[in-house]
Parts: sequence; C-alpha cells; structure tokens
Amino acid sequence: MLQTRIIPCLQLIDESLVKAIQFNKYSYIGDPCNTVRIFNELEVDELCFLDIRASRENRAPNFKILQEISDECFMPLSYGGGITTFEQAKKVFGIGFEKVILNTQAFRNPNLVTQISTHFGVQAVVVSIDFKKQGSHYSAYINDGKEKINENVLTYIKRIESAGAGEILLTSMDREGTWSGFDIDFVKHITSNTKLPVIAHGGAGSIEDIGSVVNYGGASAVALGSMLVFQKKGMGVLVNFPDKEKLAKALR
Amino acid sequence: MAIESKYKICTRCIYDERVSSISFDENGVCNYCHQVDMLVKEYGTGQQKGMDTLNGIVTEIKKAGKHKKYDCVVGVSGGTDSSYMVYWALKNGLRPLAVHYDNTWNTAIATENIRKVLQHWNVDLYTHVIDNKESDDIFKSFFEAGVAEIEAATDLALAETMYRAAAEYKVKYVLEGHSFVTEGISPLGKNYFDGKYIQAIHKKYGKKKMNSYPLMSFYQFMKWTVFYKIRKIRPYWYMQYSKEDAMAFLKKECGWAYYGGHHLENRMTAFFHGIYAPQKFNSDYRNNTLSALVRNGKMSREDAWIEYNTPPKIEPELLGYFKKRLGLSDTQYDDKMREKPNFWWQFPTYKKRFELLRPAFFILAKANLVPMSFYLKYCFPVKNK
Amino acid sequence: MITIVNYGMGNLGSVLNMFKRIGVEAIISNSIRDIEKAEKLLLPGVGAFDAAMELINKSGLLPVLNHKATEEKIPVLGICLGMQLLTNGSTEGVLNGLQWIDADTKKFEFANNDMKVPHMGWNFIQPQNTSPLLEELNNESKFYFVHSYYVQCKNENDVLATTLYGDRFHAIINHQNIFGAQFHPEKSHKYGMQLLTNFSKI
Repeated sequence: MLQTRIIPCLQLIDESLVKAIQFNKYSYIGDPCNTVRIFNELEVDELCFLDIRASRENRAPNFKILQEISDECFMPLSYGGGITTFEQAKKVFGIGFEKVILNTQAFRNPNLVTQISTHFGVQAVVVSIDFKKQGSHYSAYINDGKEKINENVLTYIKRIESAGAGEILLTSMDREGTWSGFDIDFVKHITSNTKLPVIAHGGAGSIEDIGSVVNYGGASAVALGSMLVFQKKGMGVLVNFPDKEKLAKALR
Repeated sequence: MAIESKYKICTRCIYDERVSSISFDENGVCNYCHQVDMLVKEYGTGQQKGMDTLNGIVTEIKKAGKHKKYDCVVGVSGGTDSSYMVYWALKNGLRPLAVHYDNTWNTAIATENIRKVLQHWNVDLYTHVIDNKESDDIFKSFFEAGVAEIEAATDLALAETMYRAAAEYKVKYVLEGHSFVTEGISPLGKNYFDGKYIQAIHKKYGKKKMNSYPLMSFYQFMKWTVFYKIRKIRPYWYMQYSKEDAMAFLKKECGWAYYGGHHLENRMTAFFHGIYAPQKFNSDYRNNTLSALVRNGKMSREDAWIEYNTPPKIEPELLGYFKKRLGLSDTQYDDKMREKPNFWWQFPTYKKRFELLRPAFFILAKANLVPMSFYLKYCFPVKNK
Repeated sequence: MITIVNYGMGNLGSVLNMFKRIGVEAIISNSIRDIEKAEKLLLPGVGAFDAAMELINKSGLLPVLNHKATEEKIPVLGICLGMQLLTNGSTEGVLNGLQWIDADTKKFEFANNDMKVPHMGWNFIQPQNTSPLLEELNNESKFYFVHSYYVQCKNENDVLATTLYGDRFHAIINHQNIFGAQFHPEKSHKYGMQLLTNFSKI
C-alpha cells in the first residue's frame, strides 16, 4: 500500500543549511550537498528545501545550489522560496525538482498557481500555509511570517484548491523548533475540510508525534525539521532520520 | 622473516627509511618502536601501574565534576576509539558530554555511528558546525598552498571545540580516544600544524573571512590549559585496549558500523589519505596503524607490508565531490596536483615558540594539562626535513 | 549504451544522472542519427498524454523509433508517462499511443474520497512473472509513483509486476523487447538503480 511520506524539510539561507525556531532565530546546520548525501545514504523517501529568507530579501531562487542538490539526489525533491514567476518555476523543474512550493505568491498571485499546475500538473504545486494560534483563533501569515492575512484559513485553502494547488504544507509558526508536538486539532480541522493532501509541519518531537498527526490528525504526510538535524532538543547538530521500523509501527 | 624491498624496514614493525626522523638500532628496530616501548613503561599500559593511575584519575574526575551536569567531555567522530571511549566513561561511573566538530564533509556512517552510540547509552551531544563555505575556503587555501596538512584545520578545530564545550559546562577533563599502542605515534617532521600555521595559510590563500571556524591560537591554547586548567586524559594509554574487541562490542551493542579503514567517515579525510597524500606527497599514512598491528602481534609483518603496498580503496565519486565542493575545474585540480609541493616550515608557525618553552610544556605535560605526545612532537626541533 | 529519447518532455537530467551513478553509459538525444545507432532506448515522460504524443509526432522521430522498437526490436524501457505512451491510447487524450504493447491507459476512479488521485508516493511492487528486469527486486522493493492514469495490459503474460492502490494495477510490463515501468526509477534511489542496472544488462 501507499506509504505515508515522512519528509525532511531543510531550511536554506542562500547556500547554507539552517534551522529556525518559531520563525525567528536560527542555528547553522551545515552544507546542503553533504546533508543531501547523508539523507541519500539513509534512503530517505523525499526531500524538501525551503529558502526561508528569499521572499523577505526579494531574492530569486539560487539555481546553482539547486542544481548541485539535484545532482546528488535520487529521490523526489521539492523547493520553495522566492519563486514569483512561471519561468522560475519552469527552471526549478528543469533542474530536476518534482514540486515547487509557493507561499507568499500563492496568496498574492494565485494565477501563478494555476499557470504552473496547468502546465506541469496539479501534483507539481504545493501551497505552503504558515499559521499561528491566538487565543482560540487561527490566522495564516505570508512573507516569512511577517504579514497576517485576513482571510479564513479554510476559505483560503478552498480558493487555492480551485486555483490548481495539489497539496498543502501546513506549518505551525508557534510550534516550529519546539519539539512540543503538532497542533492535532487544527490539522484535523483542515484535513476534514479539504480534499487536498495535507503535509503537517512544525513541532514534531518524537515518533509518537508523527504517528498522532497521521492517525488522528489525518495528515497525508509529515515534514520534519529539528528532529532530523539535532541530536536531541537543545543539543548539538547531528543529521539523522528516525528508525524506520519504529516509524512503521507508529504509522500503522 | 625477511621482506623483499629496496627500502630498509624496521625489523619489528613496517616503518621504513622513508619515514621522517627515523633511525634504526643495531638490531634494526626503529626509534618509533622504542618510543612506544618507552611510553608503555612510563604509563604502565595494561598493567597494574597503569590501572592504578587511571582509577586515580577517574576518582579525580568524579570529584571535580560534582554538582555539575557533566564531569567530562569525550570527542566523538563516529570512529571506534571515540565511540568505545563513551562506553568506557559510563562504565566507570562518569557523566560524559559527547562533543563533535562538524567540518560539513561527514558521511552517513559517521553521523549514524554517533547517533547509535549516543542514543544507546543516552549521552548528550554538543556540536560545533562550521559554515560550509568557510570550511571549503580553508580547505581550498591549503590545497592552493600545496602543503600536506589539508586535514589540519579539522583536527585543531576539534581540539578547540572540546575545550569550548568543557569551558561552557565547567568541565575540567577532556577524554581522548588516542592510543599509541593501536595507532602508533605519528612521525615528527614532515607534517605539522598549529593555529598560526592555519591562520597564515588562510591569510595568504583564503578568500572568505574566518568567522565560524574555531581557531586555536596560542592565546586560546594557553587560556584552556593554564587558566581554565582543563586536563586532557587518554585512558587507552593506561589500560588494555584492543581495537578489534572494541569494534565487535560496539557492533553487538548498538549496531555500530565499521567504515573499513579507508576513512570513509569523513570525505575530506578520505580524500587526504586516499588521494592527496599518496599522489602529491608520496605519503601513505597507513603504516601508522599497520605498524601498530604488527607490534601488537595482530598482523604479520609480511601481510602488513603487502597491504601497505596495495593502493588504497577510494570511493568512486570522491574526487568529483572534492572538486565540486572546492569549485575546482579538472584542469585547475590537475595543475595544482602536479605542482611542486610546499612545506610547513616555509610558513609562519608557533614551532620555535613551542621549542623555546619546552621546559614549561614539560611541566604542563606531567600535569596532564597538555598531552605528552604534544610535548614530544612540538617542543623538539625537527631533524632531517 | 542507452539512448534517452529527448522528444521534449521528461526528467532527462535526473535519468542521465542515475545512469552515471551506476556506471552505465547513456546519452540524451533528439537526433534521428543517434536513435538509429542506439543499442537500447529509454523513453521518459512527465505530463499529459496527448501533449507528449504530439511532441513525438512533431519531432520527426516516430519512424526511426518505430523501426528500432518493432522491427529491429532493441530493448526499450518507457518510464512513467513514457510507459503509458507505449500503449494503444489513453482516456486522458484522443491521440493514439505508440501501440508497442497491447494495453490501454485509464484514469484512477475511486468511490472512496480517501483514495486521493494522483497516486503519489512510495509504494511496493508485487512481481508476477520472472524477467531479467526484475533481478534482485521483490515485493519489498518500493518505488516512487506519481500518476493519475494507469495501464491495463490485455495479456496477463505481459504483466511483470503489480502495485496495490485501491485495486492492483500493472506497475511493470513487458512484451518481447518492450518494457514499461509506471514509477520513476530515477527517483527511487537504490531500487531504481537496481532496475536501471538490470535494464542495462538486457
């Protein structure tokens, strides 16, 4: 049967790998190509790269580093960060990436989503939604978490689905880098109200967390950050991947 | 048991006359064998004397570490010696903090071994990762300089990182997995490194400012040893230690994997040992461990000599990866490899200073504030360069 | 030497990259001359059926491709959309396929909302027949799939392996010298490498 996808989500700032905590400070993690090699050797199923400062710094994607990454990878790759035109998306696919991830642009220019998905297929476009919880209310943000959007999250998702999005990357800004677990209720709320597959991201601290967000939250896939680049919460950098057998058990 | 060779070879190990600063006694035994014998006698390796000293040190470590989160720091690389050292520390009731310096060229075997060992015995990890572009710039400057010590920056950075971790957690003891019995003592002379040397090479050939690289300047060195009084202990110098037994034990306990003696734990190390040193400097450092195996009776001289004379196995992608990381075209790489090599004594170093301060370092070595091997290697002038 | 057909679609760079990694000589080409000299062909493809067939028809390569595949009968491997192009046709479009295997391409239709389309992710194969293409591969081998349409062979003997997604669909097919794999071997790390290595030895 189709396996639940567990996706390392690696954050790039230009040509270095970093890891941010709650969309704020970040630690330096290492070299992207070398890290990709390690994940290759660990036979990870898929990799996701996000340039977390591209939008803020008005930068286009760094195609050179994307090519270097693609040359090392023999599994599906997705990339997000600073993609604002169809041409840029086309170039990213040409380099060998399977999917592009749009965040700020998906909101500001949904036509871009339509353009890319019409040409490359709906499965090639992932829309990334960063959300924060305030009291009992949830809001979505764009521009690296700096701008709040007033639209209801579900309404936005329905709108972006009609525009041609194939998947949602749902990231909790509050929980990112905290190892405190996912916001299962909110994830469930989203997955119950959309046909699109949802990748839960932000907060994973253990294999149990991964199991919960899939089994109870209805997530089709899980993106992992801190868990894969640090030895433990608060400890040193160590690129790793959870034990596959333990994962399989948790996901049953 | 004669070996056929045009070189004069030690009758006890396989160091031959090409090894720098080597001399042979009337029985054809080399000075390095004698050095090992001398150290075994002095440290009482594997004997009661050694064990007593070591037990005394363990007690000291526990005392000094009371009320602190950790009482010692263990440098880890994913290799046998450092992985087993973690276990040894725990077995003796110590509370170690594992420390790793990541030069961004690690392979999955290294990171996986570190993960497995530390997870199995529930030990925390402190890492310092250098900015990948800076790392490559430093490696490239050594390559451009045409000197042998391309690995030096990593080795020194690990030493500095261990000190920093120790200072941060107020730990007074750094445990190192070096064993002169299983590894031998690296010959003096041809290769050398210290903080000033690294700085000099980088200043001349580097393009990126040194920011995240943990440089051990003389000041830093003195700070950690004289001011912070952080002691370096090498338990394998005192106890009976068999690398083979350690490997088997680690494999069984936590699925640790052996990366086959070809330095596949780090791609820069693999490049240095498999390609750079043999091809540019005609140096093959495998004789260090092979000689040690022969001295310990774990391998015959003939087998060791045969292996030594067989070209090392290299990961097929390695050279391509090296050139890609350092941004070298095939032509640039080939030209540089063909160029005449340069040597450490052509650049500024602290060597003269270490020699001048020999008496002081002798005292520090006796107090375990600097390793005795440092004293032996750095504080004496080098013969026949 | 494997010739990867460049008719304007597909993950050519990644496929070439994997051949390079496993040490198999391969080139990408859109020239009639190269294809005429080819010893083996790899037909890639990502996207829509008709768009692909149109590109092939326009490329001028169809005659030489047909000659190599059906007359000279050199080994041909179609991957992902490339496998679907080997068939008679697809419900996705109106154009004929290459018709090198007697099979049809149809859309995944599920009553259950939980079965999402496209079939996207890693899934296992269940070998059904023996073949040099399946050396060292078994029901623990998994591959990366991303497709909304699947192939149905008319002849059970042409089915080398199936995959379960709702029902079992034909994941690897073969008729004489024509082979097809529905997944992306170039994105299926060691399993994909094994498959391509096997193909290079046929």
